[in-house]
Amino acid sequence: MASVASPSFPDYSTQAPTQHMFSPYADNGGSVVAIAGDDFVIIGADTRLSAGFSIYTREQNKLFRLTDNTVLGCAGCWCDTLTLTRILKARMQMYEQEHNKTMSTTAAAQMLSTMLYYKRFFPYYISNILVGLDTEGKGCVYSYDPIGHCERASYRAGGSAGALLQPLLDNQIGLKNMQNVTNKTVSLDRALAVVKDVFISAAERDIYTGDKIMIMVITKNGIKEDSFDLRKD
Amino acid sequence: MSILSYNGSAMVAMKGKNCVAIATDKRFGIQAQTISMDFPKVFQMGPHLFIGLPGLATDTQTVMEKLRFRKNLYELKENRHITPTVFASLVSNMLYEKRFGPFFVEPVIAGLDSKTGEPFVCNMDLIGCPNAPEDFVVGGTASAQLYGMCESLWEPDLGPDDLFETISQALINAFDRDAISGWGATVYIIEKDKITTKELKTRMD
Amino acid sequence: MALAEICGFKNFDSCNNGILDTNIAKSNFNFTNNLELAVPPYSNPAHMLAQLNKDETGREIKIKFDHGTTTLGFQYQGGVVLAVDSRATGGSFIGSQTMKKIVEINDFLLGTLAGGAADCVYWDRVLAKQCRMYELRNRERISVAAASKLMANMVYNYKGMGLSMGMMLAGWDKRGPQLYYVDSEGTRTPGKVFSVGSGSVYAFGVLDSGYKWDLTDEEAYELGRRSIYHATHRDAYSGGIVRVYHMKSTGWVHIDNNDCMDLHYKYKEVKDTAENEII
Repeated sequence: MASVASPSFPDYSTQAPTQHMFSPYADNGGSVVAIAGDDFVIIGADTRLSAGFSIYTREQNKLFRLTDNTVLGCAGCWCDTLTLTRILKARMQMYEQEHNKTMSTTAAAQMLSTMLYYKRFFPYYISNILVGLDTEGKGCVYSYDPIGHCERASYRAGGSAGALLQPLLDNQIGLKNMQNVTNKTVSLDRALAVVKDVFISAAERDIYTGDKIMIMVITKNGIKEDSFDLRKD
Repeated sequence: MSILSYNGSAMVAMKGKNCVAIATDKRFGIQAQTISMDFPKVFQMGPHLFIGLPGLATDTQTVMEKLRFRKNLYELKENRHITPTVFASLVSNMLYEKRFGPFFVEPVIAGLDSKTGEPFVCNMDLIGCPNAPEDFVVGGTASAQLYGMCESLWEPDLGPDDLFETISQALINAFDRDAISGWGATVYIIEKDKITTKELKTRMD
Repeated sequence: MALAEICGFKNFDSCNNGILDTNIAKSNFNFTNNLELAVPPYSNPAHMLAQLNKDETGREIKIKFDHGTTTLGFQYQGGVVLAVDSRATGGSFIGSQTMKKIVEINDFLLGTLAGGAADCVYWDRVLAKQCRMYELRNRERISVAAASKLMANMVYNYKGMGLSMGMMLAGWDKRGPQLYYVDSEGTRTPGKVFSVGSGSVYAFGVLDSGYKWDLTDEEAYELGRRSIYHATHRDAYSGGIVRVYHMKSTGWVHIDNNDCMDLHYKYKEVKDTAENEII
């Protein structure tokens, strides 16, 4: 059904029926990394918003504060992200007004999963990472696939550089394939250093990641924001 | 599914101080099914020269035989060992001959220059575009994971022992996140006066 | 006002609320009715979803769902044993090595998941709710047969739309230990020995050769564990941890978790020493 002549020779094309595809998705890139500790959790996302080889903006925050101790990081299709977070915030407000308390991180995590699955047959194209403190005050990281499969982990990398960074976190935080190691818990300083390191690596090899990272550190005292410059090319 | 990921493989080569290392996984599989866990993908082409051929297993073997033939012919003609840079050109040329019906391999070359002892690493795409950087090269189905690992683990002027540790950690952690490579690993450390081959203990799932 | 009454308008307040409510509720209607998912803007999602693989710049969009997979379950004299691996893969990337593929629906009902992870987890959750509702309404636990039928009927409504799941339901009810296989095509069948997932062919090889009704508990656990281990060894999309569960008359018990790497070198050592003794 496609045009008879090849697209590289427009002069020779004939009047044949052209098929138009419906392409509702865009890949706007971006990476998110999260690490949880005993009494904190830290999440970082780069601030580059791109499409193909062009950059829309170098300072787009991809972290969304849901409550005082829950943050969501999104990478993927930006329009889907906007819609999802808008509905998520509305739902959380409804919960707050109905129950007269803010939603816990675990409840928000489950709700996000259900919301993603609602669009099972026309998914949100987003890789989500939700972090926060659980009811015991421990840090937790929930990662999602596009249709809402959710798993709790203690560290996670997602988005365009997810495949590059996840093995690194396995090694540095999960201490995989390390012999004779005992220290299992990760300190806040170490986690911060690792997040910065892995983003520097990602910016070297992934063209959709770069410019700057926004970092949020969640402890029982609230959320602290930080940022860090990456390469801008 | 790409034909390059039909069999699955992971390969990496790194430069050190007066040494280079090349490491490979050992799996030969057909898509999800693991057939063998002892499949050679890295071949010695000279006293200080190795080539790894990740990609389609049938082409790994064909290309290796063809390269060995051309390398032997070169050695007979010139009466000397082939240097890594010349060998890289040879591989590149051979692959480009098949520009429109390529071999599905993405070679990784590691070696020391026989005269100067200068380390050399190089990789290519399947039609022979060479790339010889100052640090490391990767290939195979786990290349994204390997890039992430190497980019932060590698540092300049590593000695042979540190280089071994770095390349092993990079390879193992990378293919532990790739379903279709792994099942054992071999590391070759190439120094001026010796070549060390080490087998790594890895996950077998 | 007559028209307003016919249209069901009571007053402006409720009307306003209604609009706000439906607007947000429309975006996640499955909160109200778990069985109702969003209608996609095309007719055949199973086919169309695969077509939507380019963005406007022509870059490949890969919506890769987590996939499971080797699971097995068998009945023997001591009840039902379930064993599963824990790997989730999206394409060839290993998304997780620690996924929970056994869902504890209630104390007497376990579900295993293979296929699309999100599909399985979501529908298991819906099933868990329905089982609990049944319990509250009827003052007794739901039978495994009924639970599996609920599941089969739910997913049958979405047949042909691209759901992908193959699950086993194990339980202990009035009629004793039960094991059912249910999948997204609407199949539902009771049986003694099942294995589901990409590694199931390898698992069956070990399971069938070692299976008999009179296994002791320990033997049964070891058979399940070994079958899964062999599947993880040969199948690229299975791996991680082997989890073993036992369904007893008193409810389910989690037996143990074993890392596949440890199992491999444990079995290898036994094999090597046995070979040396022969020589």
